[in-house]
Amino acid sequence: MIADLFILRQQYVGKVRFSHFDTHVQSSKKVLVATERNVFAALNTRTGELFWRHVDKTGSEGNIDALLQHGQDAVLVVGNGRLLRSWEINVGGLNWEVVLDSGSFQSACLVGQQDMVKHVAVLKKTAISVHYLSNGHQKWIENLPETETVDYQAVYSDGNGEVYVLGVVPHSHIAIVVYSMEDGEIIKQMSVEAPWLYNIQASCVVVGQGMLTCVDSAGVSFYMLDLHLQLQMTQVPLQSLALEVDPGFHPVLLSHQPNPARQPLSEFFLQLGPDHYQLLQLNNGQIAAMRDFKPALLVSFATTGEKTVAAVMSPKNKTVSKCEIERSLPSRPVVNLFSAETGRRLLDTTLIVNMDPNGGKPEKLYVQAFLKKDDSVGYRAMVQTEDHTLTFIQQPGRVMWTREEALSDVVTMEMVDLPLTGTQAELEGEFGKKADGLMSMVMKRLSSQLILLQAWIGHLWKLFYDARKPRSQVKNDVTIENLSRDEFNLQKMMVMVTASGKLFGIDSKTGGILWRHYLHNVPPNAAFKLMVQRTTAHFPHPPQCTLLIKDKDTGLGTLHVFNPIFGKKSHVTPPALPQPILQSLMLPLMDQDYAKVLLLVDDQYKVSAFPSTKNVLQQLQEMAASIFFYLVDSSQGRLSGYRLRTDLSTEQIWEVIIPPEVQKIVSVKGKRPNEHVHSQGRVMGDRSVLYKYLNPNLLAVVTESTDLHQERSFIGILLIDGVTGRIIHEAIQRKARGPVHVVHSENWVVYEYWSTKSRRNEFSVIELYEGMELYNSTVFSSLDRPHAPQVLQQSYIFPSSISTMEATLTEKGITSRHLLIGLPSGGILSLPKMFLDPRRPEIVSEQSREENLIPYAPELLIRTEWFINYNQTVSRVRGIYTAPSGLESTCLVVAYGLDIYQTRVYPSKQFDVLKDDYDYMLISSVLFALFFATMISKRLAEVKLLNRAWR
Amino acid sequence: MLQRERIPLQLIFLQAALVVAWCFTDVETGPGAGVSTQPNGDRFKIEGRAIVPGIKTQDWVSTARVLVEGEEYVGFLRTDGSFAVNDVPSGSYVVEVVTPTYRFEPVRVDITTKGKMRARLVNYIKTSEVIRQPYPLQIRASGPHSYFMKRETWGWTDFLMNPMVMMMVLPLLIIVLLPKVVNTNDPEMRKEMEQSMNMLNPNPELPDVSELMTKLFSGSKGSSKAGSSSKGTRPAAKRR
Repeated sequence: MIADLFILRQQYVGKVRFSHFDTHVQSSKKVLVATERNVFAALNTRTGELFWRHVDKTGSEGNIDALLQHGQDAVLVVGNGRLLRSWEINVGGLNWEVVLDSGSFQSACLVGQQDMVKHVAVLKKTAISVHYLSNGHQKWIENLPETETVDYQAVYSDGNGEVYVLGVVPHSHIAIVVYSMEDGEIIKQMSVEAPWLYNIQASCVVVGQGMLTCVDSAGVSFYMLDLHLQLQMTQVPLQSLALEVDPGFHPVLLSHQPNPARQPLSEFFLQLGPDHYQLLQLNNGQIAAMRDFKPALLVSFATTGEKTVAAVMSPKNKTVSKCEIERSLPSRPVVNLFSAETGRRLLDTTLIVNMDPNGGKPEKLYVQAFLKKDDSVGYRAMVQTEDHTLTFIQQPGRVMWTREEALSDVVTMEMVDLPLTGTQAELEGEFGKKADGLMSMVMKRLSSQLILLQAWIGHLWKLFYDARKPRSQVKNDVTIENLSRDEFNLQKMMVMVTASGKLFGIDSKTGGILWRHYLHNVPPNAAFKLMVQRTTAHFPHPPQCTLLIKDKDTGLGTLHVFNPIFGKKSHVTPPALPQPILQSLMLPLMDQDYAKVLLLVDDQYKVSAFPSTKNVLQQLQEMAASIFFYLVDSSQGRLSGYRLRTDLSTEQIWEVIIPPEVQKIVSVKGKRPNEHVHSQGRVMGDRSVLYKYLNPNLLAVVTESTDLHQERSFIGILLIDGVTGRIIHEAIQRKARGPVHVVHSENWVVYEYWSTKSRRNEFSVIELYEGMELYNSTVFSSLDRPHAPQVLQQSYIFPSSISTMEATLTEKGITSRHLLIGLPSGGILSLPKMFLDPRRPEIVSEQSREENLIPYAPELLIRTEWFINYNQTVSRVRGIYTAPSGLESTCLVVAYGLDIYQTRVYPSKQFDVLKDDYDYMLISSVLFALFFATMISKRLAEVKLLNRAWR
Repeated sequence: MLQRERIPLQLIFLQAALVVAWCFTDVETGPGAGVSTQPNGDRFKIEGRAIVPGIKTQDWVSTARVLVEGEEYVGFLRTDGSFAVNDVPSGSYVVEVVTPTYRFEPVRVDITTKGKMRARLVNYIKTSEVIRQPYPLQIRASGPHSYFMKRETWGWTDFLMNPMVMMMVLPLLIIVLLPKVVNTNDPEMRKEMEQSMNMLNPNPELPDVSELMTKLFSGSKGSSKAGSSSKGTRPAAKRR
């Protein structure tokens, strides 16, 4: 049993929100990360791979609010304070999980007593509860006093048996409640005037021996309050320390409490501007400035053993002025360590951070400090940038690993053929040109053959040369320079667009990221559409992709034009789009540079073309009468079809209104433009042909009822011709609700829904046939099709819910089709379409057997042999992309979601490829044996004949 | 079938990725939970234990999850294999333990509005059928997942059992062995055989097709060869 060798899985976690280095063992290799995609994972700091990963529910119910780590346990607050979970970080198993009382979460901290940390305190809007770390049981819960006026925001403990809860009445006073750790009794309760304060977490920290230190938002002064004495706030003007906050900047404080059972450090950072930090020290109630860091990008504290250091990241060139930093990215920032106690720079602690010029700015700095043998402090740094990249760097600047966490949120992707090599292009060029006489053609033929021979000898030489080297040294590194198409076009460039606005070019063979490009000003809720305008087939014109980025709120769009092989921005300047864009469509028309024409429809129903050269406009005018498009407005339930006029204005020709108060349009699916259908019909058992209804303009519109009651909810499916607006078929599934997953291809539509009546997932398939004869067998026209198609439909039970669904696609459409179904369990099921055939008979007859129809069975089975990803589960599959390869039997599949999984599928087995364990020895030995057998028998026959002749 | 070329008269290209409808499919990833339950109704806890016989729990719990009704509610396994899914409203749910390596059977759990629990076998066809299962759930792995089909290996028995090979080999055996087994010198036997041959060939005047063909193709050449080397027991029997 040889597993498929073309499998590639990459596991991601998402943008990191909290991160802790596992410090309870000196030699630990773990870093814990909790991310914005509700994932909690442990990464290996040596390789960047996952030790384990736990994927929670999406949405707010799985949202991770806080991560606290103590020893082998990591405590998470999940779902806005709904759950408290403790994980064992070595195995990755759950220690315990408890449900907390309702109430919105504010803050959490570990509580220690006499150097032992045994409890965790969780502060909610109206109550505080303390739980045992060992089993999660609640030690005590107390309601907070005066919750209607006071907004409690922070909880603090420094190991003296008391828990401090800090609340604020905005612009009036701070309320402090002190609870006894033992029984939850209120020891003290008081309020201190603070008219300038409205948010404790944003402007206050606890420093040193319980000194609450705040900085007011105007940035004029420090305010300090001793939590143990609680007399009055002392005001220290920043000017007295010779500090000045940048205008318009809200100053931020950063303190560090290495051990929850001890007091925090008395040193802390004050951020005075976007690139200006100040290290300060609290000494006997007095604040003293220790060191000024300007320019500094990021700061962080780290503790190892008894030593605490401050790490400061600064741009390398110290004389860079501020405006320059804002304008351009500092390409090589430097991290330095400073002793926290003295503020002195530690020797030999410089670390150079090599920033990717196509990446984002650094956003967070995590430092793993450790003691070297000579008792000095060494460190490694993990840098998070705004494009969600994690880079782990060792001194003096060696990148140990990089994780592109933006890939955990791929929105759309395309596969682009790789370019031909020089020699291949030469050969292709020979066929493209028109005849220039016999002699020159022959010469060209010979020369290209010569080139091929030369390449072959070179290849042989390389093979021979590599064979002498030990195997480990032979590396087939794929770089942009040596990228070229392989024999069967199996290796392609995957262009991936992520929600963060970072684009990737990934080699489908090795999974290596060949280029990355971060788009800086992408709105956070953008919708993306990626289109290939020019493929690699038009040498010497470079291939060209266009990405349409649309702000979902305003509808305004921008275009990014780039080369999909190298990731570089194209020289072509895209048009500015001043109006919101409703629809975009690619036409098969090409301009003189072989770029396909992209039409953009704005909200005034005006059409603009890109590229818009004279040639294109002329072609558009000629073709205008046959260009139709449709628009969907789901809020008003309106589907409308338009036609292009010669002056590039539009004309509405049909409209279908689906009353939005009864049902809403959830999706509209057309067919894929690159789909080929090989056979026009199906041969029946009696040798007649049932012709398929192959309308390339057919749209499948899925609606869901607005009434969600389980007796009255329904889903509907409408098949509409996109040119004429004619409704070909309509089906309603009663007592059913979404989410509906649809696949529309050839002459069939498969959809999946939830049946509320029987509480199960069901598949339904609709197939359309023209009947026993074709109306017009040469040309399909939507305008001239008088007969309505025959519609067949059948439904089946599916024993699992599904995440996404797609159909396989091959070069010529000869290979049978499979449906690829992403399951929540992480498997990707390859279900033969044969099982979803509305002609499956209930009673087996001679004819149905002849047709190879499977008898009807209500339940479809999930067989693990059909999982194309075996045990390599993929989490939260969001989409499956299929692309044909050069081999008819092979379809390339990429599943993306939290993970990326790439493989090849062979729906009808590899009928055009020899098996990889094909027995060459056997076949050749049989051939030789037969050959010798004929030789011998010939000889024997001759002898026999001779004998007979003598007789 | 005829090879047809389809030239669509209407060139329409219908991709609606940026139309509002698409935004909907993006946003709505999960089904609304509030169909049969009030949003503020009581929430319950589904408890149980998953067991893989003979395997230490810490070897597999980190890759396992408990899925209730797809991914609507998610639970994790404790280091001893037990699990609890919190915050589940009343209703009927299919509870599944999923791991990449071991197979667990799903169980349907019914929760009444008062919080009474019942576990039963999943039957998607007869949904109301009740075959009780223990609650708290005891889910035992039924073995590792089989992801691979056994590859067909080449063996002598496979080769010989192949119908094509059998069709070739069996007549050969008959041709070679039958004359030896049946004593053709026995006159009674000969008579019987001739009779049966006549039965097979009802019209003896009509020339045999195979003979006709051989004569036709080797007509110009010496016919002695064709006659002697042509196969079959019949001419041989006749000669004797």
